[in-house]
Amino acid sequence: MRNATRVRSIFALIVFAGSGWASAEDVAVIPPDELVYCTVCHGIQMRGNQNILAPRLSEMADWYVELQLNAFKNGWRGTHEADLPGMEMRPMAAALSASQITAAAQFVNATRSPLPEKTIDGDIAAGKRNYVSCAVCHGENGEGNPALHAPALTGLDDWYLITQLRNYRDGIRGSNPADTYGVQMRATVQILGDDQAMLDVVRYITTLHSD
Amino acid sequence: MKNLSRRNFLGMVGAAGGSSAIYKTSLAMGLLADTGPMAMLDLQRSDPGRKSVAILGAGIAGLTIAYELERVGYDCTIIEASHRVGGRNLTLRHGDIVDEMGQRQVCNFDDDPEMYFNAGPARLPGHHKRAMHYCKALQVPLQIKANINRAAYTHDTEHFDGKPMRLAEYIADARGFLSELLSKAIDKNAFDQPLSEEDQLRLRDFVRSYGDLDENGRYKGTSRAGYASGGFLSHGKIKQPIEFSALLDSNYWRRGLSSSENFDWGEPLMEAVGGMDNIVRGFVRNIKSPIVLHAQVQAIELQNQGIDVYYNHKGERKKLHADYCFNSIPTHLMKGIPNNFSKDYNDGLSALRPGNFFKLGLQMRERFWEREGIYGGITNTNQRINQIWYPSHGIHSQKGVVLGAYTFWGQSNFFERMTPDERIKFAGDAGNKIHKGYADYIEAGVSIPWGRMNHMMGCGGRMSPEDEKTYFELIRQPEGGHYMVGDQISFHSSWQEGAFASAEYALLDLDQRVRATATGMG
Repeated sequence: MRNATRVRSIFALIVFAGSGWASAEDVAVIPPDELVYCTVCHGIQMRGNQNILAPRLSEMADWYVELQLNAFKNGWRGTHEADLPGMEMRPMAAALSASQITAAAQFVNATRSPLPEKTIDGDIAAGKRNYVSCAVCHGENGEGNPALHAPALTGLDDWYLITQLRNYRDGIRGSNPADTYGVQMRATVQILGDDQAMLDVVRYITTLHSD
Repeated sequence: MKNLSRRNFLGMVGAAGGSSAIYKTSLAMGLLADTGPMAMLDLQRSDPGRKSVAILGAGIAGLTIAYELERVGYDCTIIEASHRVGGRNLTLRHGDIVDEMGQRQVCNFDDDPEMYFNAGPARLPGHHKRAMHYCKALQVPLQIKANINRAAYTHDTEHFDGKPMRLAEYIADARGFLSELLSKAIDKNAFDQPLSEEDQLRLRDFVRSYGDLDENGRYKGTSRAGYASGGFLSHGKIKQPIEFSALLDSNYWRRGLSSSENFDWGEPLMEAVGGMDNIVRGFVRNIKSPIVLHAQVQAIELQNQGIDVYYNHKGERKKLHADYCFNSIPTHLMKGIPNNFSKDYNDGLSALRPGNFFKLGLQMRERFWEREGIYGGITNTNQRINQIWYPSHGIHSQKGVVLGAYTFWGQSNFFERMTPDERIKFAGDAGNKIHKGYADYIEAGVSIPWGRMNHMMGCGGRMSPEDEKTYFELIRQPEGGHYMVGDQISFHSSWQEGAFASAEYALLDLDQRVRATATGMG
């Protein structure tokens, strides 16, 4: 935790220094050698790379990163044959020890990058209405709620959000009984109904970035 | 001038215009085959310390650019993300690391220089003139590599009781039957435009010779298929031809017949003696520019003057400023690297989609294939391994490394999902269906899924035909002083020649700009 705090204060300095597009001058966080490979797919500072379907993870809460790395490691994610990117991720998590998972989560949490671009369309107003049921766990502003193991939804790629909603809907994610919170999420997703409702809610979630 | 010999004339041209003028004039006079300009790449010299170049990626393209530019006075620095030089030119020997994401392997072949596996490019056709040029210039010895071997097999688990068939037999019978059909068509003169008698005669001869038909234009088998028995101490006995309908039904023609027709695979092919990475070693021997390994690029920023490249090295963020940048980072990874390129240029980079070839090498305790009369070449099969390659080097020695699987694009996903041990087991079981006891000969193995290799995550990138129209030229052209290079920026991706060609294109473009600027200033 002390590490993350230190990184955050460096980050604050950089923000005030005011840099442009690429944060190239920002010494946000340098990954330890054994974690460089995370950034090969997820991009520098975990900024995401849609070309290879690796989502943006910058600043993601360390407890949630840890939870999901374990989900991959345990085979709750990345084992369904329709989940190609998940299957690409799985061996990465499978190779990590518990302490390496903690280190990876701290690194991910310390990364900083520009907010993702919008890539999908949807009806924001309809999405806002749909979001009411999401807000119960994920918070009114998508800030997440660690007590409920509900991650923040802001700062995620919209294409990744819609993919995951569909994965939950189709049982590609959240089908393993051991994945308690995934199973909960899968049940909840059914409330959203059709694909358009999912697109709308994702479109609404992207408006929460700037708030 | 009336008695001017060609040689004297060329001498005068040379005095007036330098060696490239001789070269171009020789071409025009038909004295030289067109070997491409790289044979005499004549870049304008730059005074040392005046022009700097950042080269991202120490593969074939990057090494070529460093080699050419440092010779004419540019200050080059090569930044390489991985632990090694060479990019996808990778020869694996005892103790080498295969940096597969999540499944790092160490090559467990015997500690013997003959036990090696070309996990990336493994074949060089003579018409890849740039590759030939550099092998010659860097003094990298080449040897003939058998690619197509008619003694090797074509195999299909669903046909001919799953028994492998010698390519010689299959090719001879397929040609024989096709020729017989054509011969019958000539008899009926069944063509859209009836042939003249003279043409009919010629065609009949051609077809008879092509298929080895008898006097009546019928195919009754041929010695080309190899004899059923005899041939030396008694007359050879012709093999009974395969049933034509069975041949057609077998699908063998998809693999056995046409694989030798690809121009890039046409015999004879070559390989570097001792391993394809001797090309990389040749460059490294001849390059003085620093090569920084374990240096992952963090950002590329075009400036009004030149380019800033940020990279991490040994836990520190470094900045390299250069006048020009040659970038061979796989384009599909560029979206993950901060940059200030134009949107179109970035869209073009994203349009180039990675392939994911897979290769597997097996050290065999005995060269059992030689007992079957197979020396080099390739067996094709309908099984997921696709191919088995037999080594062309080390003939009659005790052991050898065979290629136990080679798959392309979507086929490779199957192997990517496996552990390295599972892949070897699978390849062994598949080999058993072709060679008796195949798996028992396996002593060691190594597998390379290029779609899962650290810092690459793919190979042999391609665009859709539509994207190619929109974007290919755009990303081949420089963005400011930044050039995208590598086999990916060519119409011959996954060949070293594609990387050489891309490097050449970028270098000639740079040279033109430099000359234009110099003229402008003068």
